[in-house]
Amino acid sequence: MEVLLFILPVFFALSVLIVPKSGVRAYGIIGSLAVLGVVIACMMQYSNDGTVHLFGNKEEWLRSTGITMSFGYDGISLLMLLLTAVLVPLILVSNFKNELAENRLFTSMVFFMQLGLIGVFISMDGLWFYVFWEITLIPIFLISWWFGAPERKAALMKFFIYTFVGSLAMLAALIGLKVNAASFQIEDLKAVILTSKTACWLALGFFLAFAIKIPIFPFHTWQPDTYTKSPMAGTMLLSGIMLKMALYGMIRWMIPLFPEAMSCLQYPVIILATIGVVYGAIIAIKQKDMKRVFAFASMSHVGLIAAAIMVWDFDALSGSMVQIVNHGLVAVGLFLAVEIIERRTGTRNLPDLGGFAKQAPKFAFWFAVLAFASVSVPLTSGFIGEFLMLKGLVQFDMIIGIIAGTTLILGAVYTFRAYQLSMYGPVTRDQFADLHWSELIVLAIIIIAVVILGVYPAIITDFVNPSLKIVLETVSTPSGL
Amino acid sequence: MDALLIVFASGLISLFAAFAKKPWLVVGSAMAGLLAAIIVIIGQLQTGKAFFDFLTYEGLAFDQGALLFSLAICVLSLLIIGIGYERFKENPEHTGEYIGLLMFSATGAMIMTAYTDMFMFFLGLEILSIPIYVMAGSNKADVRSSEASLKYFLTGSFATGIFLFGLAWVYGATGTFKLIEIQMKIQEMETLSPILMIGVLLIMASFIFKVGAAPFHFWSPDVYDGAPPAVTGFMASVVKMAAFYAFLKMFSVCFGLGELMDFWNGALVVMIIITLFVGNLSALRQVKFKRLLAYSSITHVGYTLLLFVSQLDFNYSSPILWFYMFSYGFSIVGIIAVAIAVNDSEDRIDGLKGLGKRNPFLAIVGIVSLLSLAGIPPTSGFFAKYVLFSSAWASASWLVIIALINSGISIYYYLKVIVTIASPAEQEQEKIKLSPLTIAVMLVALVGTLGFSFILPLLY
Repeated sequence: MEVLLFILPVFFALSVLIVPKSGVRAYGIIGSLAVLGVVIACMMQYSNDGTVHLFGNKEEWLRSTGITMSFGYDGISLLMLLLTAVLVPLILVSNFKNELAENRLFTSMVFFMQLGLIGVFISMDGLWFYVFWEITLIPIFLISWWFGAPERKAALMKFFIYTFVGSLAMLAALIGLKVNAASFQIEDLKAVILTSKTACWLALGFFLAFAIKIPIFPFHTWQPDTYTKSPMAGTMLLSGIMLKMALYGMIRWMIPLFPEAMSCLQYPVIILATIGVVYGAIIAIKQKDMKRVFAFASMSHVGLIAAAIMVWDFDALSGSMVQIVNHGLVAVGLFLAVEIIERRTGTRNLPDLGGFAKQAPKFAFWFAVLAFASVSVPLTSGFIGEFLMLKGLVQFDMIIGIIAGTTLILGAVYTFRAYQLSMYGPVTRDQFADLHWSELIVLAIIIIAVVILGVYPAIITDFVNPSLKIVLETVSTPSGL
Repeated sequence: MDALLIVFASGLISLFAAFAKKPWLVVGSAMAGLLAAIIVIIGQLQTGKAFFDFLTYEGLAFDQGALLFSLAICVLSLLIIGIGYERFKENPEHTGEYIGLLMFSATGAMIMTAYTDMFMFFLGLEILSIPIYVMAGSNKADVRSSEASLKYFLTGSFATGIFLFGLAWVYGATGTFKLIEIQMKIQEMETLSPILMIGVLLIMASFIFKVGAAPFHFWSPDVYDGAPPAVTGFMASVVKMAAFYAFLKMFSVCFGLGELMDFWNGALVVMIIITLFVGNLSALRQVKFKRLLAYSSITHVGYTLLLFVSQLDFNYSSPILWFYMFSYGFSIVGIIAVAIAVNDSEDRIDGLKGLGKRNPFLAIVGIVSLLSLAGIPPTSGFFAKYVLFSSAWASASWLVIIALINSGISIYYYLKVIVTIASPAEQEQEKIKLSPLTIAVMLVALVGTLGFSFILPLLY
């Protein structure tokens, strides 16, 4: 059953290459829905007691290397799997009107991407985590390289090298940890007892990889360019799911493996992440390119999640899980809104836009709801998430909490500025077609999900809380056992 | 021993088959011989018994390590003969010499894996090298090929001289050629004799030269660039594999103990660091594809040398070397096959543009091979690099970190080639047609690069 999680994406990635051009759209969506089905089946099967449901082989896979074939999932992994499995079909559907959707290579790469993401979320072996972590890089790079904006090359090289170097730091840390452990199995790695100094160095290796991917403040320079130069689907994959890998990695790997390093990493990371929150928001306010606005917005939102995870408090963690889901959905929605405008007008430059609300009332409505969800208005899932995270931060340190809290105000400024400049004001185009059904479906699904989760967040929290509790407990004891 | 005889005999047969003026006959007999050798080696690995077990010679011992390396040598030689075949279809003139020399060189490589005394080692080294001096110049119409041949011959024979000189010093200190006896003699010494130390240093210099590590690397870009591509592939895979294994055996069995190890270890560490940076930084600015590969192979030599300083037991480090060199060989075969198929006389990296349109299969093989060279998962290049680095971590963790930094630098130029392959060409170019043999070789290389590390656990 669980093996299907690997087999299905590989199968669809390869078989889509021989499907006739007219069928690629439908085939891709069928494939991604099939993966969604498997994920839901796994969720049904999971007993939800917070333990890791292991499958695969715990014995050594490659002789005398300590690599094991252990895979498994708990509530956290399943939530990430579900997010991946829901977002991939949404991304494919929102791409429906582009020529890209007919492209076999593109669809194939999306499935390879999904394979990597699924692997990251269910690896319970350090080296497989690293392997899948790297695998995700290749398809997203190729998607952006082949189908991105004309002047993409320098930005993408920077992106690849930047993230690859970060990953190498993680590899170094993994090797350094493994020499003391029996195998790469997560339990074995956790059992290693380190001095606080080595733990700090090794944790720093992990942190570098995650900080670049999230991105946290000084490591973010690749992000806006890559987001703007990638095709819409690439940006959605990057911001919707890929950077969640790093957040997941912090919860699953970085902190549980190096609880000794918490004391030296906690403050610096939280401070950097908080700087990122404010910095991203302020820059977003000044941007003219609409996609850049949301790129920096994404950085701001995710920085808050990273800070909340580092607080390592139960409520903050469960808030960050809610916000991970919420941000995944809303980011996809916002980038779709940008794409809708760009498709019809050929530009994303905010001063050139305006007046679409009159011409396309349906679009105006859905975009507005999305904007509200993005600024975390009550009754959307963003509210619950940000509320819990900020509560954790304030408890941790009042000043940091207050500074991070400005994100709510600044968020409203840049989101509504972008909304107002594009949708209101004098009419700038002779015509602006209203939503296509494929666009409507995606926006509607996202909004409905966001509102349902906002009204009743227990769907998420009930599911992940037992697992979060177990993760928290393993770390709070000093030896990590 | 069986496999050695088979490879040697089929080399002779293919030399005589050349009288028939039919290239396929020559290549066919050589490939059949190598296939037979592979089967015999696998049989011997399985049963532990040689077919002709009365044929033994005390200078050669085909133990498990030697058999595994011979297997790799045979497989890679087979693949390289496969990719080199295209050239002879148009110009069948010198098929016999080329194939015959390649087989003899492979014989020498196998001797080097199995030697137990220095005398056989030297014989193996010469049998391995002399054919390559000729093969490097086998493209007689090209001046650069002749230049490569001469350069390799002059510097190579000089290094051989240094090796012999060093060997003489070692003999003077220990009074024997046998590995085991040398080891015993060194253990018996109360203080290390300076004669021995000079010998070891000279031998190490010739070794550094043979594998092309800095500061004795200057020959390798010119030779790799000038020699016919298939010969470059042979040098980068088979020759390096044999040389590394033979010297690893020598250095860990004879010279890898106590004070003597500390003596050459420090020098080697410095050379590793220089090699890594020289190879990588020079590769960054290359515009020619084969030169880029040459510099990247210098870097790979640097990574491999980590094994020498990792203070591991020989029984533990040789499988790691095998895994690393074998997966490296697969990726080299893949990328050289692509270079041959593209057949760009100017050999520019830009000439690879639009490869995806011209032949998608070629593009996939090229990209996967480059990913493997760069060490990106899930290719076997990554797993090999990981195993190598993690084995060196315990004794030289800071060196591993330097090596990882270099992996980070190297990703730039690999990526540059990968994106060149992936980007469209400026003008329309004709499609590339591949012969079935080339496709078969590329498939094997592709399976090797992608799945080697996944197949391996099934065999143990």
